[in-house]
Amino acid sequence: MPTILIVEDNKNQRLLYQEELQREGYTTVMAFDGKDALEKVREEPPDLIILDINMPRMDGIETMGKILSQNKQIPIIINTAYSSYQNSFMTWAADAYVVKSSDLSELKNKIKKILTDRPKDF
Amino acid sequence: MTHKPLQHNQCKAIDDLRNLLHRSQGMVLDEDLTKQLDHLCRSLESEIKRSNYPEGGFSHDPEIGWKLKNFSKQKNRERRQNDNIMDVIEAGLCLLDKNLKIIWANKTISDWLDLKDSPLGRNCKDIFHCKEAEIDNCQALKVFKGGESHVLETWITTKAKKRLCVQRFAIPVTNKKGTIENVLVHIEDVTESDKSLHWLFLLQKLGEKMQGTLHLDTLLHLVLTCVTTGHAFGFNRAMLFLINKEENVIRGKLAVGPSTREEATRIWGEISNKYHSLEEILDALEYNSNFDNSYSLMTQQMKYTLTETDEIIVTCAREKKAIIVADAAHDPRLTEEFRNAIGVNKFVCVPLIVRNESIGVIVADNVYTEVPITEDLVNVLTMFANQAALAIENAETCKRLEDKVTQLTTTQQRLIRAEKFAAIGSIVSYIAHEIRNPLVTIGGFTRSLSRFHFEDAKIKTNLDIILDEVVRLENILNNIANFSKPSIPKKATCQVCEIVKNICSLMENYFKERNINFSMEFEPSIPPILAVSSQITQVLFNTLMNAVESMPDGGDLSIRIKLIDKTIKIDIMDTGAGMKKEELQNIFEPFYTTKLEGSGVGLVISRKIIEEHGGKVSVKSKCGRGTTLSLFLPIQ
Ligand SMILES: Nc1ncnc2c1ncn2[C@@H]1O[C@H](COP(=O)(O)OP(=O)(O)O)[C@@H](O)[C@H]1O
Ligand SMILES: [Mg+2]
Repeated sequence: MPTILIVEDNKNQRLLYQEELQREGYTTVMAFDGKDALEKVREEPPDLIILDINMPRMDGIETMGKILSQNKQIPIIINTAYSSYQNSFMTWAADAYVVKSSDLSELKNKIKKILTDRPKDF
Repeated sequence: MTHKPLQHNQCKAIDDLRNLLHRSQGMVLDEDLTKQLDHLCRSLESEIKRSNYPEGGFSHDPEIGWKLKNFSKQKNRERRQNDNIMDVIEAGLCLLDKNLKIIWANKTISDWLDLKDSPLGRNCKDIFHCKEAEIDNCQALKVFKGGESHVLETWITTKAKKRLCVQRFAIPVTNKKGTIENVLVHIEDVTESDKSLHWLFLLQKLGEKMQGTLHLDTLLHLVLTCVTTGHAFGFNRAMLFLINKEENVIRGKLAVGPSTREEATRIWGEISNKYHSLEEILDALEYNSNFDNSYSLMTQQMKYTLTETDEIIVTCAREKKAIIVADAAHDPRLTEEFRNAIGVNKFVCVPLIVRNESIGVIVADNVYTEVPITEDLVNVLTMFANQAALAIENAETCKRLEDKVTQLTTTQQRLIRAEKFAAIGSIVSYIAHEIRNPLVTIGGFTRSLSRFHFEDAKIKTNLDIILDEVVRLENILNNIANFSKPSIPKKATCQVCEIVKNICSLMENYFKERNINFSMEFEPSIPPILAVSSQITQVLFNTLMNAVESMPDGGDLSIRIKLIDKTIKIDIMDTGAGMKKEELQNIFEPFYTTKLEGSGVGLVISRKIIEEHGGKVSVKSKCGRGTTLSLFLPIQ
């Protein structure tokens, strides 16, 4: 089963994503900020990363830049409350941009689509 | 006191007179008059010389009786001649003795002072009607005491009922020993020179008053009051026309004057009882605004284009010269219309000129009194008009400035409102972001809970209610999320088509779920523009959401992007409910919404963003058929 790294500073939301994605059958790994995320990626690269933008210490954009420079293969979904961060650079760099919603179906659809489009061949 | 021969006295008087004339050369005395007096002295002198009487007084010669008789005959003839001369000269002369009794006077005095009987023997103050102050300060007495005479100026009404302004002053007449025996009072008509002075003074006074009046309507009223008041120009009626350059017309602004002869008699009576000076009338001006009469109303109807060549007012303004019309009925410079409107045969038009350019015309007449309009009066009126024109221009400039200030104030108020709006916006935006995260958690867990099976059906219903409310809150947040951002967004080069594609791909599922048939159509070669792409995204999101919400049962939604001239036009078309005219008028009002769960800020923000990008938004809608919203974004 694909492994998904969830980068989210809000504990309750982390729990929600974990519960929901595990239910979909994914293996989940949690990171509570950008630094933590980078370590987790180094330890064991996940199949997909879900990244919040507003986080303490290192924000999502910086984190994404660092991850991409390490490993261009891992698809990233930006998941944020701020639709204002949806600028051209971000949209092009990330594989998807999802505005946070209590309805996770959009997020789940994006995950499924990205994972089937990119068959795991490594 | 010893009696001296008359001729000696006379010679002495002549000497004195001449002395005095020499002394007063270059003074107030009229030059002609001085010459005249000089000439008079000469002729008197030669008269006396020709009468070959021995000098040196009386002798007790036997012949003396005859001689004396002869002498007095001669003397009488001489006196008659002198009197004749004295009577015709244009000056009043009278000789006073030490008791200020008149011992001799010429005829001019009697005429000017309108005396019924001979003034001889009367006290001078009686014929001059001296006031208390003048008696205390009697110039003749002063001269008798060796002082210099002041010039006194008064108005008199002559026997011929003419008003004259006269100056009088006293001249000492000394004997051989140099003692003052008599005083000659000399009266001169200075009406003409005084008139000019009077006008100068009046013009200055009116000028001051006008320059101090910056309110245009009050000023116009003041100008016309000056033209019509008896204390100034004294016309019966006056109209004022002003040029409007933008409209290329000259238009009646105001008229002052009675509408009928009866009214004229009544008003003039009232005014002369109430006000005694020009100042009083002008000061009371603000409080008597009687220009709503038919004459003024008629004037305000009068309007002529400046290209109308055969209109007298236009001619007057164009040629910048006063025009006196003496026979309106036969004057070809008048149109029939104007002739009928003004309804008087004699009138004058005077241009209002500022910096060699006409700004209007004053028309004045004497319709009731029929007093002729003299060229002199028109000359002064022209001078007055120039001052008035300057004042009117000042007032107009002032008014323009005032308008500008009002405009600035409203703009400022609008800015303040916008700023407040933005401030509220940033708070709203902050709260919106802060609320979204817990909402996601609440809604997410609720959703995951609702997948469980519950014994009690009520739990499921309640969970659904929570979910519905969360969704509703989230929708509101989506609309206001980008109301205003904490930092100033940077514009970057971006492709509008890409932004549209992006947001639409995000919303694809959403459209499908709602049975909305979505399509996009881009013209090739839409150039990139400088824009804040997140903001453009927000606009597209808001407008697409509106379109979706207008089609609760599904429909067609399409986006078309075109390049028209140097503007990118984005059409968002739906086949939804559409809007009525009244609705259309309100959709850009903050917080206007027709939806139960609406926020009413979506379009306000969208328009604000588009305007910040130098563009505009337009909406076309047909009730029941659908709506097309167009965004215009210029390429810089
Ligand atoms: N495409 C549309 N079709 C019909 N009505 C619309 C459309 N777009 C906007 N409106 C009307 O304009 C109003 C204001 O829109 P908006 O500012 O987005 O606020 P909201 O959507 O929250 O009501 C809506 O309530 C609706 O009545
Ligand atoms: Mg809306």
